[in-house]
Amino acid sequence: MSSDPDKLVAKADKLTKLTLTRWSADWRNATLNYEQAANAYRVAKKYEKSKDAFEKASKGQEMLSSPWDAAKHMESAAALAKELGNWNEVADLYRRASELYVECGRAQPASDALGKAARVVEDHLPDVAVQLYTDAISLLEEDDKDQMAFDLYRALTAVHIKLEKYTDAAAALLRLGLAADKSNATNSQFKAYLGAIIVYLYAHDVKAAEKCYNDCSQIPAFLGSDQGRCGSRLISAYSEGAVEEIKRLAQSSTISHLDHAIIKLGRKLPTGEVTAVKAGTEEGEGLDENDLT
Amino acid sequence: MSVIDLITRVDSICRKFDKYDVDKQAELNVSGDDAFARLYAVVEAELDSTIEKAESVASAKNRAAVVAINAEIRRTKARLLDEIPKLQRLAMKKVRGLSREELEARSDLVSALKDRIASVPDGTTTAAQPSSNGGASASTGIKFNSNYDGSFDSDYFQNTEETDRFRQEYEMRKMKQSAQDEGLDVIAEGLDTLKDMAHDMNEELERQVPLVDEIDEKVDKASSDLRNTNVRLKDTVNQLRSSRNFCIDIILLCLVLGIAAYLYNVLK
Repeated sequence: MSSDPDKLVAKADKLTKLTLTRWSADWRNATLNYEQAANAYRVAKKYEKSKDAFEKASKGQEMLSSPWDAAKHMESAAALAKELGNWNEVADLYRRASELYVECGRAQPASDALGKAARVVEDHLPDVAVQLYTDAISLLEEDDKDQMAFDLYRALTAVHIKLEKYTDAAAALLRLGLAADKSNATNSQFKAYLGAIIVYLYAHDVKAAEKCYNDCSQIPAFLGSDQGRCGSRLISAYSEGAVEEIKRLAQSSTISHLDHAIIKLGRKLPTGEVTAVKAGTEEGEGLDENDLT
Repeated sequence: MSVIDLITRVDSICRKFDKYDVDKQAELNVSGDDAFARLYAVVEAELDSTIEKAESVASAKNRAAVVAINAEIRRTKARLLDEIPKLQRLAMKKVRGLSREELEARSDLVSALKDRIASVPDGTTTAAQPSSNGGASASTGIKFNSNYDGSFDSDYFQNTEETDRFRQEYEMRKMKQSAQDEGLDVIAEGLDTLKDMAHDMNEELERQVPLVDEIDEKVDKASSDLRNTNVRLKDTVNQLRSSRNFCIDIILLCLVLGIAAYLYNVLK
């Protein structure tokens, strides 16, 4: 058995090409050769060739109708593409691997593959990462495995915050709350809601933060919880314009238990002018006095 | 038949009958070179889906779901309202083959669309439950109303030794109180962290329970398979080792040795 990977690949290619003398491709031997060649290339650090060999091996496994092995090879190919730095290719290979896992009927590894892909590309292609995270989350939710999705939601929120898309980040946190509610994880749920309120306040959208707080207060347990009380104190501090109070609350332990990205936002509160809201409420009172009907 | 098979089959059937789908055909027939019509169609489709979601809110019993859906609706509304100015600009542009009345009608359409978007209910009208009780008592904290400033009028009573001692003790305690308060604060923070960690551990364990159950099942199946295989292997090996085969083996071996010895003698 020749250990030279080039020869192996050539032999395997010959096995799969259909000619006059060969009427059906011998996928089993070809796949074996491709796998050996791919490993040899990886050891020799020839990443490009190793990636190609893994892709061909994966196709071979598909022909042998074993999607599990095919998916595993695709993942190895994607890991090598990561070394090469072709981010688009990484995303594509991981997507293909995830589809093969779904064919096996195993949603968990499929979502893991997409999660790995998103983590790899989030620095370089954040929008693609957002899409990958969303797909990974929907895969898990369809399979009723909401609890596994929490980490993905948190990573998605971090990406949104990095892109400074605060409404999207808050929406992602609220969806985390929904998933947590389904699996009865009240602590995570309330932390997610408090996080959403802080994100809105950081974007200096006090109205949206208040609306968010009102929405979340529909859930009675949230009102009485630590996080709910912290949220209500923050909102009232904002509406009174008490900067010191806001700063003190931001250092409190409740906020320190939240996610990293959100703690960073919380420490930077308050952003912008806080006293503006007070003027608005005074105006409202003036109208009431004049309106005698 | 597994879910995957069902999905693939349904997909292929849908694809086969796509040409009978009236809505899809109407979509494809919208003229490609009219940017306004395209953008309008897109915005309208999104608005319709948002209205559907808003209606589903009314029927959603799960409050957390309501919260999440409302946030989605608000986000989509903001996004659609952003697209409206673009739409208005496109509406102003004169397009070949379009009459004057239609051009005016387009701006009306755009403003009507804007009103429709703004009127989508997103749960902002529901006021908050009165949470002032919890808030007020927590925000003010505990205050001791001590107005003592260290000066008693000596006209009113005589200082006995006992009262002197009491007063000294009181002043000492007041000094230590701030130290005590700080200590209590540290303890409170530590407890908070502990509580949070305990909650997280609880959730993590709950997450792991079904996984461990799955592992348990799979290991049970694997071990029973192994036991089965072992028994069958034992039977097969026993069959191979039965005494008859053994004797035949010995006889044949002796024959071979005999032939070898004979040849050796002949060739010597």
